Amino acid sequence: MNLAGIKSKSTARTLRNSIFLVLCSIFASALASLAADVKMSIEPQLISLLDRAVLKIEFLDTKGKAADIPEIEGLKIQYQGQSSQTQIVNFKTSSKVVHTYLVTPAKVGDFTIGPVRCQYNGGEKVLTAKLRVIKKADDPEAQQISEMMFSRISSERTAPYVHEPFQLMVDVYVRDGIQIDGNFSLRGGMPESGLEGELDWNVSRGRREEREGTIFNVFRLSTTVKTLTAGTFEFQPEVQVNVIVPRQKRRSYGFDDPFFGDFFGRQESRPYVLECNTLEMEVLGVPMEGRPDSFTGGVGEFNFQVEVGPTAVKAGEPVTVKMRIAGQGNITQIIPPDLETNHDLKLYDARSAPSKNPGEVRFEQVVIPTSDTVKEIPAISFSYFNTKTSDFRTITKGPFPISVEAIPEQVAQVIATIPSAVMQETEILGRDIVYLKPLPKKWTLADATPWHRSRLFFMLLPIPALLLIIVAFATGRKNRLANNVALARRQQAPKAARRSVQQAEKAMHKKNDEAFYEALWNALADYFGNRLNLPPGDVNLQTVLKRVPKEAEAIEKLFTTIEQRRYGIEAGDGSKHEMKALLKQFNSTLHKCERMKL
Amino acid sequence: MKTIFAVIAALFLASLPAAAFEKDFIEAQTAYDEGRYSDASMLYADMVSNGVDNVALQYNLANALFKGGDLPEAIWHYRKAYYAAPRDPDIGANMHFALNAAGAIEPAPSLIQRSLATLSQNEWIVVAVGAYAAMALLLILALLIPAAKRNLSKLSLLPVALILLSAAGWWQWKQLEIHPEWVVVNSGATTLYGPVTGSTAHFKVPLGALVRQKSVDPKGWIEIEYDGTRGWLERKYIKRVSP
Repeated sequence: MNLAGIKSKSTARTLRNSIFLVLCSIFASALASLAADVKMSIEPQLISLLDRAVLKIEFLDTKGKAADIPEIEGLKIQYQGQSSQTQIVNFKTSSKVVHTYLVTPAKVGDFTIGPVRCQYNGGEKVLTAKLRVIKKADDPEAQQISEMMFSRISSERTAPYVHEPFQLMVDVYVRDGIQIDGNFSLRGGMPESGLEGELDWNVSRGRREEREGTIFNVFRLSTTVKTLTAGTFEFQPEVQVNVIVPRQKRRSYGFDDPFFGDFFGRQESRPYVLECNTLEMEVLGVPMEGRPDSFTGGVGEFNFQVEVGPTAVKAGEPVTVKMRIAGQGNITQIIPPDLETNHDLKLYDARSAPSKNPGEVRFEQVVIPTSDTVKEIPAISFSYFNTKTSDFRTITKGPFPISVEAIPEQVAQVIATIPSAVMQETEILGRDIVYLKPLPKKWTLADATPWHRSRLFFMLLPIPALLLIIVAFATGRKNRLANNVALARRQQAPKAARRSVQQAEKAMHKKNDEAFYEALWNALADYFGNRLNLPPGDVNLQTVLKRVPKEAEAIEKLFTTIEQRRYGIEAGDGSKHEMKALLKQFNSTLHKCERMKL
Repeated sequence: MKTIFAVIAALFLASLPAAAFEKDFIEAQTAYDEGRYSDASMLYADMVSNGVDNVALQYNLANALFKGGDLPEAIWHYRKAYYAAPRDPDIGANMHFALNAAGAIEPAPSLIQRSLATLSQNEWIVVAVGAYAAMALLLILALLIPAAKRNLSKLSLLPVALILLSAAGWWQWKQLEIHPEWVVVNSGATTLYGPVTGSTAHFKVPLGALVRQKSVDPKGWIEIEYDGTRGWLERKYIKRVSP
């Protein structure tokens, strides 16, 4: 067989193997898709009102998203989340993705959940599940949750006016025998805008009431509402109550005592949002027709009182007009009534005065008669809109007679501008402002850069920190050397060697070869003694070579040469050239050792 | 020689405006003493508009305005002077006097705020820088004198505390940039519940009252706080004091 024939046979075999592998993988994936499945189950399938069931959609050996469950009247289905599970049994892997839903019944009946379309890798399946909800054993009359628990909203006013406070009452009806934890929360259903402030709900323990032959415990939630605008407001609060029910999957501990039941978690609270009627309220605006000029925004029913004092003053001295408005209504929104003014009467803006009574508001206004022709403080009118009679009412107080004494040539002092509200403080303050300040020693310009924003300041600012860092580094180094003799000697080594090398250089210049080699030996001993932290007598070739093996050849040559010349074993030519060469070799070797990490 | 001449010339030229300021200042004081308050306030105001920013100038201008019957502007300048010299008893007394005269309620800061306002923002910066230098010096000494290391290290906690205190003081003044103070300079300032014309009236703010900005509406409304109550006011009624 020739070479071409062998080659074509081998190619054909490779092709066959590849086709076989592709077919195998297609077959395996087809098997896997055949094994994939989706199931829907509900547990338990029979429950009573106030119980709950768990609906599960299981994707077996495949993945799938949570399905949309169609809405079913009488059932509330909430998605709880997903979990996944993988098992390996006898080298066979199986996986499962479970989507869980909580089913809460609102009425009795037979329910079919579905059809639910579940899409997964390999197809689509339409599933259904059945659930039966029966009447509660201890309440055989109730067909729906809304028959067992509900709420009703009402108000004592049918058409309140804007800013007029009115009561809203929400009665929560809970059938006798149903246990709740006493916590009520309002989850919404109130107008999102147009109400003044946050509503503060008060709960009062109720009464027992009979409705269509059934006894209910009634709890009243009440609040005061004020609207900021006129219009139609819809109230349909969603009241949530927590019902205490026994756990469905109870564990038996052998105790029947309710205390132990609760202690061991045999009860649970389940939140229910109650049905409520819609209360539509038409809030009326304060009419424009017949609105007096003295109307200052008061809506409700009020009293108005005015006090004026002192009634005998000199021209230019202040008189305080104290106004008090009390009653039911938007008391905090009333602005002070206006006081009529004339040429001889200087008025200051009225200011609110503190009041301990939340049902009243007080104002104080300073009036200064500027001439003795003033005989009275004019009458003050306060108008408000009466919500009971649906008309404007005006209360007028005054005029208030006063006697003003003329002052001859005296110019009105600063005290004349002080309102009487602070008269008590004037004795402490003095009768006039403090005099001018003297000529300043230094003039500051508004556009001058302050020193703390100058470039010089920013340049100088890091200096203390830098100094601190330098000192810390220096003292740290000093301490380290003091505590570590080896390190200190290692750092001293080049310096110690340099001294002897200088002596050797001098000897070389004087052509004193004996002194030269002696000095060079000393340099060698000083360097390695310090560098390797060796006692003076321990510096020899063997010790050094053991610790510095890298430059062994150069070091050995140095040691040998110097020792031979010192002891005259092998005398050199004693020329300056030879000494210079040795010194160069010495310096080069020490330089290499210095860069070496030992 | 030329250099000396140039330096003398520069010093002379620099002293010229100072001399002019002194002349105006004395002239304004004379006008004030003679009861010509509008003249006095005009002279002081000219100096301010020429770029002079002295505590004494702001204070004297406020006095002249007060005597001239312009309470809101007087309060505005007293407050400016107070920012630079918060411990000055004259400024405090006159501002208190002016606010009372206007029938306005004075801001009531808490004890901590009052304590931190004892020093001005610049003074807090000086304290912080001084404390920082002292801390560095003490730590350097502690490193150099091992025998006194323990005591000096303990002592260096004092400047650290001062730095923290200065930071709090500085932050309080910084708040004036975030929530600035305004003075009501036009009468008829009635706050509303919302930043919309025609919104329900909330409360009246007297002329000259010092109010604090809480938020701003892009349409020119400012939510102010006065005497613990908040309401929306149109910008035309108020003038900003804070930097």
